[in-house]
Amino acid sequence: MRFKQLLILAAAVSLPACASGVGGGSFGYSGYSLVRVKEVRVGNDSMAVTPPREWNKIAGSLFVDIHAVEDWTQNGPYLDGISFVTGLKDGKALVYQRRRDDRQVPKFRSNMTPPEIAAMIESLFRVRGGAVDFKTLSMTPRPFLGTNGFQFDYEHLDSDEVRRKGRAVAAVINGRLYMILFDAARSHYYNALLPDYEAIVHSARLV
Amino acid sequence: MNATLSRRALLGAGAGLAAASIGGAAEARILPRDMVPLIGPGYRAVDQDEKGMWQLMERVEEEVSGSNLLIKDPQLVSYLGTLIGNVGGPAAKDMRIYLARIPEFNAVMFPTGFTVIFSGLLLRMRNEAQLAGVIAHEGAHFLRKHQIRQWRDMRRKTDIFSFLAMGAGVAGGAAGIYAGDLVQLAQLGTLLSLLKYNRTLEAEADAMGVRLLADAGYDPMAMSETWQQLIGELDLSAKYRRKRRRRDFNIFETHPSPDARMADLKISAAEVRQPGRVYDAYRSRYLNALAGLRPSLLDDQVKLNDPGASQYIVNTLAKDGWNGLLRFYEGEIWRLRGSQSKGDELRAAQGYAAAVAYPDAPPDAWRWHGVMLLKQGRSAEARAAFARYLQLSPNAPDAALVRQMMAG
Amino acid sequence: MRRVCLALLASVALAGCVSTRQYADVEFSPPQGDYKLLVMRPDVSVGSVTTGGMVEPRADWTEQARANFITALKAQQAGRGGNVLIMEKRNSLAAVDADMVAELERLHYAVASSIALHRYSGQYLPTKRNRGLDWTLGEDAVTLGRRTGYDYALFLYAEDSFASTGRVGLQVLGIAGCFVGFCAPNVGGGGQFGYASLVDLRTGEVVWFNVSQASSQIAGVKFGDIRTPEGAAQMVDRLLDRMKPGRNVRRRGRAQ
Repeated sequence: MRFKQLLILAAAVSLPACASGVGGGSFGYSGYSLVRVKEVRVGNDSMAVTPPREWNKIAGSLFVDIHAVEDWTQNGPYLDGISFVTGLKDGKALVYQRRRDDRQVPKFRSNMTPPEIAAMIESLFRVRGGAVDFKTLSMTPRPFLGTNGFQFDYEHLDSDEVRRKGRAVAAVINGRLYMILFDAARSHYYNALLPDYEAIVHSARLV
Repeated sequence: MNATLSRRALLGAGAGLAAASIGGAAEARILPRDMVPLIGPGYRAVDQDEKGMWQLMERVEEEVSGSNLLIKDPQLVSYLGTLIGNVGGPAAKDMRIYLARIPEFNAVMFPTGFTVIFSGLLLRMRNEAQLAGVIAHEGAHFLRKHQIRQWRDMRRKTDIFSFLAMGAGVAGGAAGIYAGDLVQLAQLGTLLSLLKYNRTLEAEADAMGVRLLADAGYDPMAMSETWQQLIGELDLSAKYRRKRRRRDFNIFETHPSPDARMADLKISAAEVRQPGRVYDAYRSRYLNALAGLRPSLLDDQVKLNDPGASQYIVNTLAKDGWNGLLRFYEGEIWRLRGSQSKGDELRAAQGYAAAVAYPDAPPDAWRWHGVMLLKQGRSAEARAAFARYLQLSPNAPDAALVRQMMAG
Repeated sequence: MRRVCLALLASVALAGCVSTRQYADVEFSPPQGDYKLLVMRPDVSVGSVTTGGMVEPRADWTEQARANFITALKAQQAGRGGNVLIMEKRNSLAAVDADMVAELERLHYAVASSIALHRYSGQYLPTKRNRGLDWTLGEDAVTLGRRTGYDYALFLYAEDSFASTGRVGLQVLGIAGCFVGFCAPNVGGGGQFGYASLVDLRTGEVVWFNVSQASSQIAGVKFGDIRTPEGAAQMVDRLLDRMKPGRNVRRRGRAQ
């Protein structure tokens, strides 16, 4: 999972230099690649989805990545994002963190119930996403990838004072977490992109 | 957080040097009776450079007051205003107070007399005297014109490292995860070097703070207690992460190492007590004032999953008596830490079971109690717990899911 | 701090370069004729860069610069034939409450940061290639336009800093220190930095965006000093005046 502040840090690290043209792009960040309108494998390739229009995949990273997680965005991570979690194993966290970090995102456990997974997502936003307020809007059963999953709707206020809204659909299959999470600015962007997200979730299948 | 790639790390060497240059040899204790206010009521900037700083601060206050990160509960704000009135000295009527919903232990006084208090501070203070002590300390920075003095002091330094320290202090930050104005202030505790006081200024604020506290009838020992609590929290936090307490915790950027200061504070506190006068910590009216907010304060803290810090805070609050709320959050701490080797899930289950025995257990305690029972295979008991949850919280957002869990 | 992000991201400090890059929506035509423009609270500040590299805000300079900037803005807009209101505070509009303005400012900040990141800092989004400026403030901006009768909203930020004499002797390649409300993106010798973002309130879309940055790595070389009317006009000019039409409009123009 990438959050806005990672990009801020990446930009901050770049030393000033006289650039010809616009921004050298020399942050070491590989940038974005195009996701076309056809079925594509995501994350560790154990899940496939079909987007209804082109999206941008956040490709590669300066930071150690979680192989099971892949992120897409339409307008940039400040405004919207869809994250795919594919087969996250017991004992792994959604983000890279060190054992000695004071504040940590809880690790996924195979025996987690939906409320625990939702709570893990909430802590993810509070610990890593800069959320100062987080509210659950609803949690309902929802079939996902041919099994009993659940849907988690939430809202949060972040430290950049922007309100964001999100939806996660998830299931634990063979002890591993599969999830598609959508998060976007509550003003305009969430509603504008929700249909895309729903289409992607409906198209999702295990491969 | 990936600190290696933060600006703090890049400028770390410079910052280290800056810290050294800002520090100094141990000084004689500053006497509270020497600390007189340097400003009076209705104070306004006079000198050119101070005016510039004020104008900037007015913009800052405009932004702060318009922020949606503020807690605007009128009773609470009015309560805090009363405290400022008690310990604000001559500027008591001029000072403004803003309460921000940010789970950090910090309070920041700006050179124009407005202060931002972070909700993490309210969580940690045990009584009104402790909170008033922090306000008195911050107010003293204003009354002694520390900010402009520090500003001018920084200007004199041609040392390149002072700039680097500014850069590191401002943009490096503690965890660096927050990007908003207010939150940056909380974590950094500095506004450039304006608020990055050196030991002398800190000692002045301590001495004056203690005096303001005692004058208002508060127990002046409260200030040293606050520091003891913070150190205890940091120690336990580090212990649970199996490491040494970090020396560069953000609070220490603005308030350098407390050992000598605590000793001085204790002596000063004894000094300012007048024989025959009664001093109080005013715990019950403080607990009353904060009663409505405390659940969300605990929630904000515990969900950060810093188990040592959260446990310390819960234990500190529990010194005034355990209740359902505190037992519940103790359960939450273990559930979030989730260490299998330490049997955290079992401890969490026990915590929730203990919580629901109290009448004030929050509805969520019943839901989590049910989840734990379900995971232990005690389905009938789980169903009962879930039913209780739904009864207490009929409009719960996760009702549909809980009903499914009840159905098995 | 919200502004830190934008300033840092757009901070490609250039030795003695003036760079102005503007991006426009493909169908963008610079506003002409009888249009009504709402200028959201413009943020202008001026300071001097001290020896240690600190930017010290100067109240007198800032007031002067703000006044000059607004005068220049009004003149420039009058020259284009528009009606302009410059908002001083969030509650400066009768028909809209301060909260709504606040929410729009916050959203705009996220959008402007995105534009800066994905247009100016090299983090291009492939889906936006050849689409001009493809960002919007959405329905809330349209509501603002409808309630107030304004056609466009302009978001502005401008700053300037000057090396005071002590600074000249010291060349430091520093990374900016920023503090709330005021950023110093380049400490080579002081410099100007600004952005302007034009939102069409009939659609909510950001139709034009420009970042302007002029800096001198050689302390002592000054660009138009925005404390003076001429310098402010130059800054406004750099930001706004040479608004170019969008790509499709230019093509159609050439085809004729």
